Amino acid sequence: MSELSTIKDLLQSLIKTRKLIRMYPENNPMYIKAVNDMYEKFERAFQQTSGDIAFQIRQYEILFQDEQVYHNPEKSDNLALFFFKDGIRELKFLKDLGKEELEEFLKILSIDEKELVDDDIVTLMWERDFQNIKYIVDESTLTEDEEYELRATEALMENVTSEEVLLRAYRDALTSETARVPQIVPVEEEDLKALIKEFEKDADPKLPKLVYILSEIIYQGLDKKEFEEFSFIAKSLLEYAIKIGDFESAINIIELVKKAIDDRDIIEEAKVHLKKIIEHAGSTAIIKTLGEIIDRIEIEEKTILTYLGHLDKNAIQPLIEVLGELKTIKARKIIIDGLALLGRRDLQSLIKGLSDERWYVVRNIVYILRLIGDRRAVEYLLKTIKHPDMRVRREVIKTLGELKAPQAVTILKDHLNDPDPQIRIATVRALGSIHTEAAKRLLLQRINTKDFLHRTLEEKKEYFEVLSSWRDEEVTDFLVKTLKRNTLFNRSKNFEKRACAAYALGLMGSKEHLNILKKYIDSGNPLLREYVRNAITRISGTRMER
Amino acid sequence: MEELKKAIDIISNLAILLRTSQVHDINNVAVTNLIDKVTGLINDFLKEEKVLQIDLVGEFFYANDTRLKYSIEHLLNFDFLSRELKKRNTGTIVFKERIETQEIKTFVKAFITAGFSKDPFNTMQNSLKGLKTITVDRLKRVKEDEALDMRKVVKKTYFNAVSFTKGIMNKIKAKEAVNIKKAKRIVESMVDLILEEEQLFLGMTAIKDYDEYTYHHSVNVSVLSIALGQRLGLSKKALNELGLAALFHDMGKVEVPLEILNKPTAFTENEWLIMKKHPQWGVKALLMLKNPDPVLIRSAIVAFEHHLHYNYTGYPAVRNKREQDLYSRIVTIADQYDAMTSSRVYSRVPLPPDKALSILIDRSGTQVDPLILKFFINMVGVYPIGSLVLLNTNDLGIVYQSNPVFPDRPKVRIIMDSTGKRTDQTVDLSEKDEQGRFLRSIIKTLDYTKYKINLAEYLM
Repeated sequence: MSELSTIKDLLQSLIKTRKLIRMYPENNPMYIKAVNDMYEKFERAFQQTSGDIAFQIRQYEILFQDEQVYHNPEKSDNLALFFFKDGIRELKFLKDLGKEELEEFLKILSIDEKELVDDDIVTLMWERDFQNIKYIVDESTLTEDEEYELRATEALMENVTSEEVLLRAYRDALTSETARVPQIVPVEEEDLKALIKEFEKDADPKLPKLVYILSEIIYQGLDKKEFEEFSFIAKSLLEYAIKIGDFESAINIIELVKKAIDDRDIIEEAKVHLKKIIEHAGSTAIIKTLGEIIDRIEIEEKTILTYLGHLDKNAIQPLIEVLGELKTIKARKIIIDGLALLGRRDLQSLIKGLSDERWYVVRNIVYILRLIGDRRAVEYLLKTIKHPDMRVRREVIKTLGELKAPQAVTILKDHLNDPDPQIRIATVRALGSIHTEAAKRLLLQRINTKDFLHRTLEEKKEYFEVLSSWRDEEVTDFLVKTLKRNTLFNRSKNFEKRACAAYALGLMGSKEHLNILKKYIDSGNPLLREYVRNAITRISGTRMER
Repeated sequence: MEELKKAIDIISNLAILLRTSQVHDINNVAVTNLIDKVTGLINDFLKEEKVLQIDLVGEFFYANDTRLKYSIEHLLNFDFLSRELKKRNTGTIVFKERIETQEIKTFVKAFITAGFSKDPFNTMQNSLKGLKTITVDRLKRVKEDEALDMRKVVKKTYFNAVSFTKGIMNKIKAKEAVNIKKAKRIVESMVDLILEEEQLFLGMTAIKDYDEYTYHHSVNVSVLSIALGQRLGLSKKALNELGLAALFHDMGKVEVPLEILNKPTAFTENEWLIMKKHPQWGVKALLMLKNPDPVLIRSAIVAFEHHLHYNYTGYPAVRNKREQDLYSRIVTIADQYDAMTSSRVYSRVPLPPDKALSILIDRSGTQVDPLILKFFINMVGVYPIGSLVLLNTNDLGIVYQSNPVFPDRPKVRIIMDSTGKRTDQTVDLSEKDEQGRFLRSIIKTLDYTKYKINLAEYLM
């Protein structure tokens, strides 16, 4: 391969590697391979070109020893333009180029230019301080005013020092007294140690310091306009704090603002602007960023909840929005807990989440309403109970139960016949939680239906377990009767029902039921026999414990 | 990269060896251990590189033509070796092939003996004649024409920074967008040049422009801060951040009404109150420029703290005292020094540099951080650039470049000779005659501001 072909090949590999580096994270084998391959290409190129490799950069082409080795007339994804636009006119790779340096260079090469807000390629190269990658930059683009230097020089040189002045100074110098000269104390080991300590301290993040400065500025007697500007700054720092995951600083900003809002010395007109900062802390933009951050990095849950706890009700809607976008369970749990905190203060805003199009979000909102435990949510839950997704319906039923909403009994009745057994079981449990007479009656009626016999043992057991929680005479009588009742038809199904009655009596734990239970201790039906024996043991055990 | 680390280690240990040899006999175990160590380090380097050529050019060390950038723990050792090599007029040491401990021992002996000689370089070279593996060469002076070209580059960079600062301040005032990328690039250029040509750049800060004070002052504070940061051992990236923070430290002044800013007489109490608001206005001006980032945050902190004073007796008054940022403490010193040595609207007569330095020393521990000030004084020297001095030869001159090795022996531009005639020549006060006596020394300093001497004529 000729020298020129080698160089052309090197540039093509560089472009290919750039794409791979963009696609894969640093620890991915493809990424590692791409860097290694590129390094080998460079090593071979250095051998074949017997030394350093220097490229001349033009707007749309790259030259090697005055020969074109790259050309691209397009403005996007153009390697030549990538360097040219920021002023790089020559790029030189020295033969001692190491893999680490090459990788750093490849990282720069792979940067999405749209992300480069405050740095250009020259700055990125400069900051890396490459030892084996040199570049020549055309600095003329930095000159603001071509004539400034000339004008400034002329102005400075305008007043020429006169001979007379110099002579006077000279004469004075010969006759003046010797002036005191400051003594120089050399830098010593102790100074260096102190300096190293300074550097260690200097490594701390700087945002907390700036937040402290804000807390000072706010009490510097600002006028209304200054408070408006303060509000702008605080909002932008809040955004930044969340973006970098510094929740402590974000909390400090909110706390200092809240303290100022409560401060009588702060003018009332200013407080409007200060309140806007709190509002902004819960804005869609900030909450979206917050979601991305807690999904990506590990931050102490308590800290995030402290932040969320400081927010106003305007944060609820964005939090609901974000809840549906989170990827990790850990992040969802944090947002759910946060919404529970805020929802207690504004139930209505949270309830709006029940209309969300995403079933999983609705289910989470229902769960949050259950955590909050406010019965005002019941009327909205009763509407949600018709949700097309079974998982939402189940969550609603469970919540209605835990909220002990008596008005839910009528609606829950229908769900005892739901085609899904899990819904039916959830309904039974909910009725047990509601624990009203109506709920009890409904369960009793349902057990007495013919259809009940054909339910699974598990479902039957659930009914009787729930029923046992009433522990009143009516239920006791009902259970005893059920235990005793023999039927001619569906005998095995009926034995299941009788076994469940024994199970319920066992759960009730009353010694009075021992005699009746003992009658069936040797029942011919193994299921009944097993459940009766378990019930007796349970009651005896209970008694023994007493 | 690994080779450069090895070279730094060699120089550092060589310095320790030579320092130890100055107090102990060459056969003392402390010295022989070090000889073994240095021999091992050099041979390890020579396995890969065949030759190790250490050059001292200006204030910087080079190993096989690559400039060495070392961390702070090596600072004292490098400074020591630089000073001792200059005393011996030696600029190059070459090690080649494989070195024996006996050869290092011979080198150490030659080095120590040369220190007491009137002709140190020749003494050392003669002592090393029998050695094939270690050679030395004379200290090279930077060529005058190279220096002249570099001076042009420094001047261009300096005025470009001033022009840019002027533009940026005007844009902030007009609430227009500011190009931060460009600001970074300009400070990068300044950092590069200060790392290479610190003295030339410091010379530019001594030239004061009364009419454009605010902009020159911002750039001067940036240059002085970067140079001081370099002395403290900050990385290139950190120097850029420091340079930007220093450049922006007075941005709050764009909010101060011009009639106050340009008031030639003393401020009223109310005007002072407004003036004292510029640190907090600086925070606002910077944070309203663009979305926050680490550089902007650091700059805002510096803008707020640069008048706070080390003991918090400055302004703005704060309710809670928190330790001031390292960069703020650097910028405070640079700011005070440049302000004192400049002619401003409210203080037409500037102080001569040496006087300003004395005042800073008086403020050590109260207004300024004593530790940082110590490094600053060592940087600008006893006679800072721009000082008007009388030599024992009865020549009158202006300090042109300070000398980090001999702080009281800077380079001086003679403006009047011993006969009282106008002249123009540069002399190095560290130069000695054949008997080893210094050719010239400063005996008096004068206040150049008393005499309308235009420093730009001599320093630009």
